[in-house]
Amino acid sequence: MEAIIKLNSQNSIKKYTRSLARFQSLIALFILCFVLSILSDKFLTIDNAWNVMRQISVNICIATGMTLVVLTAGIDLSVGSVLALSGAITAGLLRNGLEFPSANLYVGFTILGAVLAGLLIGALLGVFNGWTITRFKVPPFVATLAVLTIARGLTMLWTKGFPISGLGESFSFIGTGWFLGIPVPVWISGIIVLMAVLLTRKTRFGRYIYAIGGNENASRLSGINIDKIKIAVYTIAGGLAAIGGIIVTSRLDSAQPNAGITYELDAIAAVVIGGTSLSGGKGSIMGTVLGAIIIGVLNNGLVLLNVSPFWQQVVKGFVILLAVIIDKANSKNQ
Amino acid sequence: MQKKVIKYALSIVALIVVAYNSIYFKSLDEVKAASAVKQFDAASYAHHFFNKKLMPGIDKAVEIDALLKLVQSDPSKAFLSYSHALGIGNIRYFLVKGEGTIKAIGENTTTISYISDTTQKQLEIATEFVYGNAIRDASGLININEFNSTMDFNNVSAEINKIVRSEVLPSFKANGKVGDRIKFSGAIELNQAHLNLDHIEVVPITLKLESK
Repeated sequence: MEAIIKLNSQNSIKKYTRSLARFQSLIALFILCFVLSILSDKFLTIDNAWNVMRQISVNICIATGMTLVVLTAGIDLSVGSVLALSGAITAGLLRNGLEFPSANLYVGFTILGAVLAGLLIGALLGVFNGWTITRFKVPPFVATLAVLTIARGLTMLWTKGFPISGLGESFSFIGTGWFLGIPVPVWISGIIVLMAVLLTRKTRFGRYIYAIGGNENASRLSGINIDKIKIAVYTIAGGLAAIGGIIVTSRLDSAQPNAGITYELDAIAAVVIGGTSLSGGKGSIMGTVLGAIIIGVLNNGLVLLNVSPFWQQVVKGFVILLAVIIDKANSKNQ
Repeated sequence: MQKKVIKYALSIVALIVVAYNSIYFKSLDEVKAASAVKQFDAASYAHHFFNKKLMPGIDKAVEIDALLKLVQSDPSKAFLSYSHALGIGNIRYFLVKGEGTIKAIGENTTTISYISDTTQKQLEIATEFVYGNAIRDASGLININEFNSTMDFNNVSAEINKIVRSEVLPSFKANGKVGDRIKFSGAIELNQAHLNLDHIEVVPITLKLESK
């Protein structure tokens, strides 16, 4: 009888630990907000909350794509450069159009046209990532590292190293406008998150992503077209990075050739803090959103507390490390 | 089969609608002619700004001695009342005027001494390297939003500095001697977070030598 009671209590402790682990990001976020609201009277204000949400919306876009990639046990280091190139293409086409001197032709782009072109470039670079990874079996780390350099170089060539500014008030609305009392970038990232959640939870494609990350060989043997799914995932990641690039360009009213440097690290950090396993097959979009919010709140809090930017990087690094260690410990327990 | 045809037809129509609302075509010559008219002339803008906007109001600049005293006693008031800057950083610019005696003429700067209450104080006037945005930003008269690109905006600064190098400095450098009295106006830069009042360098706008 005693043995049964002991077993029951052990089981309930295990259950409790498991549910605690599931909500660890949320708990961490609450603790962080609680501490920051004590340390800074400016932290817990509506203005600051919108400011944080607006700032993290770009990272949420990129990190959502990154989550899909990481769930397939891949990684995409190129997103920061893809963001810069897409933003630059959008800004360049909107401002300067395309010139064809031999035909004495000028092709002008409306906002819709320029945005679609930027998205297309991002998606094409994603296709290229997926193609090199699946066709030539190049490790995702190396393939996307190459595209990181290629896209940054192309951005420099397109912009000639100078920012492209003066894109007009209508275009600025994407990054700085408000709709129904909520900043437009927050709407955009919210819609992306909603679609990604539905994609991963309610579609066959989403189940395939988890399956590939869990066990690629078993997935192949069960008839899943691995290459097709992977190319699609990298394409989505590229497209979402492009959306991030368009938001950044619009917010600054300028495409900066150096935009997006180290953004991939923030996206990976959000994914990891959100509990997605870097070895694939385990994780969730909502976890990543929480991870992005934690990073955003941490950045904002450190700025409000006047912490040097150099120390901010150190703190962020330790938070990522801590998240991975906790994740590993949880995996072992389970 | 019929369903497929309808699907393709609808897709093509959607594509045409999107394309129609995305791009437009013009003659390249026509566009180039229009943009040539619109081309920003930084040199003319800078000359107009320097002669018609900056110079007429330069006498209203704050006395440097009074400013530095206020910066020491009440920095927030001094920065709030007299400084200008583009962004929200700690580097801020002031439009100042003053007078003193030339104490030394160096390769890059001229040292001016002046009496503040009963103490003798010194400052430097840049006479060789006139770069940066001090004059443009200190004036508070040029709004970045008036420009199509940051390059145009920065070119205005470059042209203002060129005016100082070509129109303000040559006669001063040719005629100024140690011991001469001088009236000056110009721009100075101060870092709100790390105040350093021991080394003040004025980027000159006017330099007027007075006979002894």
